[in-house]
Amino acid sequence: MKGGWNWFWKGGSILLLAYVVIRGFSAPLQPGLVSASPSQLSVAPQSVLLSAVGQPFANPGDLPSAFQVVLRSGDQLIKTEVTEVSPHSVRITLDVPPTMPSRALDAYLFTPAAGTLFLGNACFVESAAKGDVPPAFGATAPSPQEPQLGFSFPYQPNIMESIRNLLWHVPMWFAMFFIMGLGFVASLAQLRTDSVDWDMRAEAAVKTGLVFGLLGLATGSLWARWTWGAWWVSDPQLNGALVTVLLYSGYLILRAAMGDDDRVGRLAAVYNVFAFVMLVVLLMVLPRYTESLHPGKDGNPGFNSYDLDNSLRAVFYPAVIGWGALCYWMYTLRLRMNRCAHHLLSR
Amino acid sequence: MNALLLLNSLEGFFFGSGKAHVVTGVALIILVGIAVSLWRMDRRLGQLEKESRPDQH
Repeated sequence: MKGGWNWFWKGGSILLLAYVVIRGFSAPLQPGLVSASPSQLSVAPQSVLLSAVGQPFANPGDLPSAFQVVLRSGDQLIKTEVTEVSPHSVRITLDVPPTMPSRALDAYLFTPAAGTLFLGNACFVESAAKGDVPPAFGATAPSPQEPQLGFSFPYQPNIMESIRNLLWHVPMWFAMFFIMGLGFVASLAQLRTDSVDWDMRAEAAVKTGLVFGLLGLATGSLWARWTWGAWWVSDPQLNGALVTVLLYSGYLILRAAMGDDDRVGRLAAVYNVFAFVMLVVLLMVLPRYTESLHPGKDGNPGFNSYDLDNSLRAVFYPAVIGWGALCYWMYTLRLRMNRCAHHLLSR
Repeated sequence: MNALLLLNSLEGFFFGSGKAHVVTGVALIILVGIAVSLWRMDRRLGQLEKESRPDQH
């Protein structure tokens, strides 16, 4: 019975991760506006092409009259006319008003199937004067329509297709927290009981957690390169993650340096308790009190608050369970190796 | 890289270029490799445990 359950959760973790890989890479991205051309406008009749990426927001035969675009300047709207529609772009014409509250214009595209698409700072009107939009140029916002998209991931500016990394990067850190938490408990138990088995549990947890920590750093760095344009930026969250991994590397160095010393278990346990406290401080506390580019930190909302939608949840939660179970499997293997080695050496 | 996405047509770089299938395939191969190596390690450890501590099995 126990063997059956063991293979059930181990096989289950692999099946869940296979589902995450297939579903995560096959789901299309919802459409999103990425550019306006030209983006510099003058006070005159203009034609502007708004382009999108992701799923098509229109079918080839759709009429332009089914789509609406308004430009927003400050809190006022400017009317436009949609003249051409293709699956990934719309062409609009507009009379650029001579006065407007802000020279930067945001674009809203209202579509029948894909809901409302938004592009912040789509255009800029250098020659416009400050003032209200004259009534002849003004528009009222159409009522937004509910998107009728199939299973697809939400579009986020800058993140775009790389949103799929959410299924790798975040669950890997969750798995690392989970297993380092087990190591922390094991170290506390080791300090209380002075048991070799608890020491072996702590060591196995740290070694497994470090693997996931390094994977978390690698996937995060890759994501940073895409979205922020650099492999590494001096950010409290990123630096905290690196320091945490280095701290845990210090745990292994300490163990290796002490060799067979009888005190290694207790000293390593003390160090591990310190490292876990630092993990909580560096990754969960400090970044929340400082400005950070990282989602979920100060001034920067996490995915969950606005765009971890149901499609993403349907893959993200299995990814968290799958990576967590895989991490635990690796931990149990490492622990069993430690126990076997200890048993053979103590014969 | 975002500039590459824009240059590479608006049909979507990821799917339009066919790279999505390659990435899925490579990720699945890596996953199967990890699963097989863990499974083999698990079995060998089981055998080792039986040999080293026959009284507990």
